[in-house]
Order: sequence, then C-alpha cells, then structure tokens
Amino acid sequence: MSELQDLARKLLEEGTVQVVIGWEAGRRGLRPVTITDPSDVEKLVFDTRSVHNLATYLDPRRTQVRKLGKPAIVVKGCDTKAVAALLREAQIERDEVVLIGVRCGGVVKDPAGDATLTLETVAPRCAGCDVREPHLADFIIGEEQPEPPQVTSIDERVAELDAMTPDERFEFWASQMEKCVRCYACRQACPLCVCDQCVADKTVPQWIERSPHARGNLSWHMTRALHLAGRCVGCGECERACPVGIPITLINRKLQQIVAESFDFEVSDDPATASPIGTFRDDDREDFIL
Amino acid sequence: MSAATYISAEQLSVLVAELVAAGTRVVAPVSAADGTANYSEIETLAQATFNDALPMPSLKGHFLPPSEPLLSWRQNGGDVELTPAPNCFAAQVVLGARPCDVAALNVVDSVMNWDYHDDLWNGRRDASTIISIACPGVDESCFCSAVGLGPDATRGTDALLVAVEGGYLFEPVSEKGEAFLGEYERFFTAAPDTALAAGEAFRAEARARVEANLNIDTKRIEHWIDGHFDDDFWPTLGPRCNGCGACASVCPTCHCFDITDEQTGVGTGVRRRSWDTCQAKKFTLHASGHNPRDDQNSRHRQRISHKFYIYPSKFGDVLCTGCGRCVRVCPAGQDLIEILQGIDQLALSEEGSL
Repeated sequence: MSELQDLARKLLEEGTVQVVIGWEAGRRGLRPVTITDPSDVEKLVFDTRSVHNLATYLDPRRTQVRKLGKPAIVVKGCDTKAVAALLREAQIERDEVVLIGVRCGGVVKDPAGDATLTLETVAPRCAGCDVREPHLADFIIGEEQPEPPQVTSIDERVAELDAMTPDERFEFWASQMEKCVRCYACRQACPLCVCDQCVADKTVPQWIERSPHARGNLSWHMTRALHLAGRCVGCGECERACPVGIPITLINRKLQQIVAESFDFEVSDDPATASPIGTFRDDDREDFIL
Repeated sequence: MSAATYISAEQLSVLVAELVAAGTRVVAPVSAADGTANYSEIETLAQATFNDALPMPSLKGHFLPPSEPLLSWRQNGGDVELTPAPNCFAAQVVLGARPCDVAALNVVDSVMNWDYHDDLWNGRRDASTIISIACPGVDESCFCSAVGLGPDATRGTDALLVAVEGGYLFEPVSEKGEAFLGEYERFFTAAPDTALAAGEAFRAEARARVEANLNIDTKRIEHWIDGHFDDDFWPTLGPRCNGCGACASVCPTCHCFDITDEQTGVGTGVRRRSWDTCQAKKFTLHASGHNPRDDQNSRHRQRISHKFYIYPSKFGDVLCTGCGRCVRVCPAGQDLIEILQGIDQLALSEEGSL
C-alpha cells in the first residue's frame, strides 16, 4: 500500500497532478475517493474490493471532478480498457491524466462485501482476464498477483440465453425490463456514456418514452445497448449500479460478440485500434441492410 | 388502543386467503431468487416472507407507482376530449411492511395534501389498511432511531405485528386497525404472557441495535443547513457521486415526479407522471439552457437540504425515515449516515465556538 501512497504523495507534491482518484475504506467496504491534499494519501487503499471503474471520473462532463484539477487515477488492467476507449474517441487527451496502474488478481462483486476471493464472491468479468498487467499506465505498481478463481464466464451465461427459444428469451428479458424504474444509474455509472445530452433526455422531439413502462423501457435498453456496441469494455459497472438487479452486462456482451464477428474487433487496452463505430471500410458488411 | 392480541401463522394464512377471496389486494414482502425481498401482491401467505432482509425497493411504488397515467386525450375535430385517470382504488391490505416504509407514507402525506390535494395518492392511501411488522434492525446502515422513529415505530400504521413463536402479536394503533381487528376477530386470541414478554424483548433488542448505528440531532442539522448554503462542506459530496437516481428510486420518501405526454396513436395519447430525481442534471435544466444546479455538488446539497432543512421547515418532519437503502444501493459508496454525522459535527463545533 505504501508504494501507492508514496507515488500519490509525490505526484501531488510535485504538482504533476492536483487530484488523485483512488479507493478508500469507508464505513462499508471500499469506495472511490478524491485526494487533493498530500497529507491525505494514507487514505488510499487497493485490494480485492477496488471494484469501481474509476475511469468513469474522467468524463469531462463531471465538472465537480474537473474543477479539482489535473487527475491521476488508479486503474486496474480492465479499467485501462475504458481509458483507451475514451482516448480512442477523443474524449480525453493522454497527457490530461496520469494513470497509476495496479497489478490485479481479481476483484469481488460487491465492494461492501467480503474481501476474500472465492467462486461465490469474484466478479464475473475476472474470468479469463486478458489485461492483468495495466500496460497503458504511466506507472505500474504492486506485486504480481495469483490468477482469480475461474467462475462461469459471461460468454457461458450469454450462451445459455442463446440456447433459449425466441419466446423464452423474450419472456426472460420482458421480466427483467419490467423491473426498470429508469433511474439511469446504468448510464451514469458507465465510463463510456459521455454524451452531452443523452437521447433518453430529449423531449422535443421525444425519441424514447420517458416512462418506465414496457415500451419505454424496451426503447431505452435497446438504445443504450446499441450505443455501446463495439464500445462497451465489459467493466460491469452498469449492472452493479442497477438498484433493481437487471443483468445488463449480458446484453452488452451479446452485442460485443456480434461486433467481434461482424467487424473483427475486440475491445482492448490499445487506444490506437480504431473502433468499428468510428471507422468506415469499403468491405464493411452490409448484408443486414434491407 | 387495545392491548396486543395474538394470531397464529396458520390463522393469518386463512385470513389472507379470505381477504384475497373477497377481492382485496394484499401486498407483502415476497422473496426473490437472489435472497432479497420485494413488496408484491400475494395470493397466499405462503408467498410472503417475513425474514430479516429489508425489502428492496421501498413500499413507495404501491402508492406512487414508478409511472402512472394522469389523463388520456383524444382529438375530436377541433376539440380535445380529456379523460382523467380513475382515482378509485380497490381495497388493499399491506401486510408485513417495515415501520420505516410505513412512516414514510405518513411523512409524504403532508406534501400530497399541501397546496394541491393529490387524488391518486390519497385514493390509494384511503383504500389501504397497513399492517406493519416490527423490524429486527437489518444492518449497520439502519438509522430509523436517529430520525425520531425506531424499528418498532407505529407512525402511519394501522396495526403492528411482532413475530413471536408460532405466530404474531397484533397491536392495533389506529381506527382502521381497530376496525380490522373487529371485523376479523375470530382469527385472533388473547396473547399469552410468554408471547408478550418475547415481543417486548425482541423490540427492545432491535431498538438497542439500531440506536447504536447513529446518534445525531436533526434539529441541529436543520439549523446548520439554514445559513450554510455556500459552505465548503457541500463540494466534498459531489465528486464521488455518479449523479444517478438509484438513491431516490429506492427511497421511501423521495416523491418527485416528471410529467410527460406520450402519444398512443394518431390524435390520442396519455399524460403520465414518472419518478424523477434532483440528482439528475436535467431536473433543473431551464428551457433557456441555464441550469441553476449545474454540478453534482449543488445537486447533492439539494438532496440533503430538501430532506433535512426544507421539508422539516415546511412540514415539521425530516424527509427521511432512516431505512438506509440509499446507503446500501449507492454504487459509489456515498453514505448518508456519514454525511449526517459530518453536518452534526460541524454544527456542534460552531455551537461550541459561539
């Protein structure tokens, strides 16, 4: 821990950054913290409960964070995929942020829960993690960690849904969508939902019905999913933030599988790879256009 | 008020069956697959669960649904026909609601009958009989005692159940509760002394458990917020916050809504109200593009101020019943208990320096 705290103190004291965004121990487990005073760096903690994708705090529209000054954020390998996506989409410049990468051996699902990594507690996204070393970071700290417990991967869960009949699948999603109260916690927690004005907030004209009824919820969730196709980094913050427990990551992952198959694109921590939504190729598939 | 009587679990089950058969809508906590419970309509008592888990979300949605029609319209040549949404509701019995959820209904009644009498809210309230259940105190995020209630508080309820071996003590606390007991008297018996003693012990233990979680003076907090609009405390709250409405959607007292018109066909449509939250950027966005609460610091100040200063100044009650759901649900770890402790400490230290 002292390696992280020492680095944070140094960055703040040198004036390289004005704020370090990391995790602290709260009354209930770990939670994000913004440190502006070098004497507060002892609050910084990193462990298996460092669940939150702090890249969310890089959204330029979070003015209350922006006004604290240039940030350093603590990132796990998976979080760097979100930073890479923000760079790829020119939402931030690489020199606007200092990335403190930590070697990660997996995180739990619930930052307020048990810190022990077991098959029951480990976050599903840790299965088959391909970014255990945060290459994109300016600093990489911490010891090499053992591999996380291998839980059922999200692809296996998506395959279960794929195996259903269309009616069964519709029934499954209808019962999930019915719970949605349109609080938009999923959107707000997403590091890539960075639109100045979300289409869901437009009322003149109203593209998506505001009300949490079946039709409005279907419009919202379809739009959200499509806007994240080829962009979603699979961090699962949307699903964790959902107060009614909709398994949103299953939709995101399904879309990502389709994008991978159609456009030969896998989301990675390399910001130089062009994303399908930001490029045009003559040989792009168009057989789905009627 | 009557002393407690007793109803066995079997008799309660028969009573529920009778209510349902008579066309009464019965709402109770129902277990979900993941171990949580939510308030849902039941057909039989076996579907209900009165375990320790706090139902999620709160009971609010059964009185102020996440979305409901206010009126429908139809264009008829040059005229528009308006049809108000029906505000007559079938009789409803809420069984096993937590005291924090029930008190919240009573707190929100004030604003629903302030300068406007909300027919839909009041219609559902009038049609309902509420039988709450004494709560064991769920976890370290419960703080009902700190806002003038308690795990066995009876505010807003018609009768209170206390779980004892084999059944429940039943304590009517309102005319509706007395009437309910009168109507279904045959299901009840006199409470045995052992059950009364066990009930008392359960309530005392629960109170002690929750009281240990938070000790603040809400009056002191109210006074501090008045006059500290620009205090440096508020900008410490915004950075962590995602600005979602998860806290408001699970809150039993948050009652803000948005009204939108939605077309259902050519020349027809519905005007609906749907839950909204002061944590959303768009909540205060003016047509001019100006937004008086233009960042999460000011939006969070609004949330705390409304609950602990504005509402109490207007109606005499804090707009919070200490259920702790906002604390448990926040994906960013924002913690109302800690915020209240922070303000209370600031207020105390200022009192001390005077």
